[in-house]
Amino acid sequence: MSLWRIEALKKNLSYSRAFDSEIVFESYGVRVKIQATDAELLREAEQTARKALVDRIRILDTKESEHTFGISSDKNDTLFLLQNGEQISFDSSRSRFFKFFNSMLRIVVAEHASGSVFIHAGVVGWKGKAIVMPADSFRGKTTLVRELVRNGAEYYSDEYAVLDEDGLVHAFPRDLSVRDPEFGEMDVPVEDLGGKVGSRPIPVGAVLITEYQENADWDPTKLTVGQGIMEMIPHTIPRNFNTEFSLKVLNTAVSDAIILKSPRGDAGDFAINFLSFFDNFTNLARIT
Amino acid sequence: MNNSQRPIARKSGLVVQEVPDEVLVYDLESNKAHCLNQSAAMIWKSCDGNNSVSEIAKLVESQAGGKVTEDFVWLALDQLNENNLLQNEIRSSFEGTTRREVIKKIGLASMVALPVIASLVAPQSALAAASCACNNPSQCGNPPNSQCPSTTNCNGSGLCAP
Repeated sequence: MSLWRIEALKKNLSYSRAFDSEIVFESYGVRVKIQATDAELLREAEQTARKALVDRIRILDTKESEHTFGISSDKNDTLFLLQNGEQISFDSSRSRFFKFFNSMLRIVVAEHASGSVFIHAGVVGWKGKAIVMPADSFRGKTTLVRELVRNGAEYYSDEYAVLDEDGLVHAFPRDLSVRDPEFGEMDVPVEDLGGKVGSRPIPVGAVLITEYQENADWDPTKLTVGQGIMEMIPHTIPRNFNTEFSLKVLNTAVSDAIILKSPRGDAGDFAINFLSFFDNFTNLARIT
Repeated sequence: MNNSQRPIARKSGLVVQEVPDEVLVYDLESNKAHCLNQSAAMIWKSCDGNNSVSEIAKLVESQAGGKVTEDFVWLALDQLNENNLLQNEIRSSFEGTTRREVIKKIGLASMVALPVIASLVAPQSALAAASCACNNPSQCGNPPNSQCPSTTNCNGSGLCAP
């Protein structure tokens, strides 16, 4: 058992208050219960859940759920988070605690979503086709999404490509998580950037396996469908929980897409050049 | 040469997805994903425990439309064995010879694309998250965060996760 775990278990002893408030909601086919030791905590937890899941939440009149989170506080205002009865986090910073809770909620729903496959990716729509950019965080994903939106693309997400069983991409339009050197991380609505959210599910036109590298030239390799899916697997959230469905949906989604891999330089220049390239590519594909 | 061996493709614990000209195989036990090109896939599918290496070579040759040698089959079997995609233990035919040397030898003579298997280890299940709090990615590969959704990425929420 790790030292952290032992410390956590010690901390466990300090929150023995009973949960007296709870809600159960459904999001993307996943039922989640949130319990809290007081109504104020529950209210904040519900707000967090709405934000985490882009308001795709339906409160249910039931006590049955597949996943349960419990939130408790002690006399020092330290907050504790339990998942299915086991403590997974505690924090004296309220904002950091709820950020963590936000992430956990998103991961649980993304992993267990029914009929959808969540890919960790930035997504924009361009002339009815999705441009999907799977990548880890801190690889310039949001910056590139922002630049594509500034150049007229529709915003789908800077976090998840949500694929349905037909391989169509649905918007997961959370506020863009912009990192500012001066102000730190900020959530910016896409409308503030002059963009708009894509309103309908669209097929995947391109998958870009790319990340920012200083002074890098965009010199892409065209990947096969199999190679492209291999690149996407590490970013596919339900890959272990629902492997067969995930692979089938990935295959359906990208089988007609162009899949390109290369590092890229400045997002502003890249966005303009790529949209132009994509236009030419789709026009050519239409002719041939 | 150990060409009397009759390899058997592993089936249990695998999810197989056919994609155009390739086969994807996800190993649920090791969380490894493999992409078999057409040649490797044809050889893997021919490993039914009845076919010997020379018989597999003939079978693949008839499907691929080009000369397929036993060394060509062994090149695939060696990779299948290494990636635990065979049910039975296969003694490699390449003892004392590197794969690179074999590729060079076969590649010059073959009209059929050499069998290639690309593999990757997928990160742990997202639900394996325990603490997962982090300030930088280096904190994500080690205890207490080694069971987190990502072992390499510290995301914008300060969590070792995608």
